[in-house]
Amino acid sequence: MTGTPRLLNRILLGILGFKLLVIGVLLMLLAAVPAVAAWWHSWSRGVSETVTGVFEGTQFPGRQGSWLWIVLALAVVLLIGLMVAWIAQQGKGRTDLLLAAEDPGGVPGDIRIGGGVAEQALKNALADRPDLAGATVAIYDVKGQPALKLRLHPRPGVSPQAVAAEAADLVDALSAVVGQRTPVLVHIAAGARTRFSRAERVR
Amino acid sequence: MSSVVEQHHEAGGEPVQGGSAAAHAASIDMRRVLHRETHSSRAVAAVIAGALVIALCLYALLEFAVRAIGQPPWLIDPQTAAERITALPSGMPPLLLGAAGAVTAAAGLFFFLNAVLPGRRARHLLDNRRIAVVVDDEVIAAALARSARIAANVTQEQVMVVVSQRQVVVNVRPTSGSPVSENAILQAVEDELQAMGLTPMPQVTVNLSTSGVVGA
Repeated sequence: MTGTPRLLNRILLGILGFKLLVIGVLLMLLAAVPAVAAWWHSWSRGVSETVTGVFEGTQFPGRQGSWLWIVLALAVVLLIGLMVAWIAQQGKGRTDLLLAAEDPGGVPGDIRIGGGVAEQALKNALADRPDLAGATVAIYDVKGQPALKLRLHPRPGVSPQAVAAEAADLVDALSAVVGQRTPVLVHIAAGARTRFSRAERVR
Repeated sequence: MSSVVEQHHEAGGEPVQGGSAAAHAASIDMRRVLHRETHSSRAVAAVIAGALVIALCLYALLEFAVRAIGQPPWLIDPQTAAERITALPSGMPPLLLGAAGAVTAAAGLFFFLNAVLPGRRARHLLDNRRIAVVVDDEVIAAALARSARIAANVTQEQVMVVVSQRQVVVNVRPTSGSPVSENAILQAVEDELQAMGLTPMPQVTVNLSTSGVVGA
């Protein structure tokens, strides 16, 4: 439900992985096959001569040294900025507003219901259940609309359909209170807390 | 919470269903949300890759900056590094070169496969009329193990259930001396699966172990 850019992740990971794979295979071939080493020598010498020519053509007017180094440094800074922006995109999309609507009545003003309402109500309703080891509630912003994600951790052996049916009842009750049907995703999850807790024998 | 809800029901009657907000809420594509929930977002691999590139860039930046202001290099001068790379198989032990290549290729393969493979998570969709439900396979396995255990009348340790995308394998080691019906176990597990209404619906296989457990 998060706003992680999945296609971008796949494209960038694919590009980086492919490059690393090619470099790694080339290094292994250089170490193992003499013919590849000969080809590499002739090819890389041509490239390095071209690069040296470019650097010599871009000398500072007054003194020693090429201004291409500064251009390279700026390009690397730009790349670092892009990478930071990419990492910052991962897993974002949490929001704190369950409902924001105009009040149709005669009183001027808007209505805003915070996510804490849903969180507290659902957590309290689920707190005393013996067949659940834990529950977390989060609100995500899915394309500008709030959506509720309810993660339930049942104890080992509890039927997921029973948990789901009760979660659906709770969600219906919540939408009656809030006055709007929020899209809900229920994730019935296993985790460390359920794995080491005892199985529910009597239900 | 339930008492609060009941009071509201009595006071306010039916919840407000109309209005632009409700219409907007229904416009979220739940199928897309469920697809995203059952497939990996590759966020972990992306963060690792980004951090790797940033670390390499920071080092390169340091050497570039040192070079640009005419100071001695920190580890290696960029020009010297380029010369060494052009001369490569010489000037480095072949074993070290091959090992470095193997490590780089393995890292590249990790990222590449992460990008190319479908990245399906071990989860199933559960059929529910009102809400979208996703269940971890581990929870399904635990529930099926419970019904198989009751049908076979054995202890928890004698049943092992493996749930994958399209298959459920139930392994039962019966108690020595007490007969266990394979059909009864299969029926119990299939009934439980039908009640769950999973998508995709897996096929059930029951394996009864030939050697029993003594004293269980």
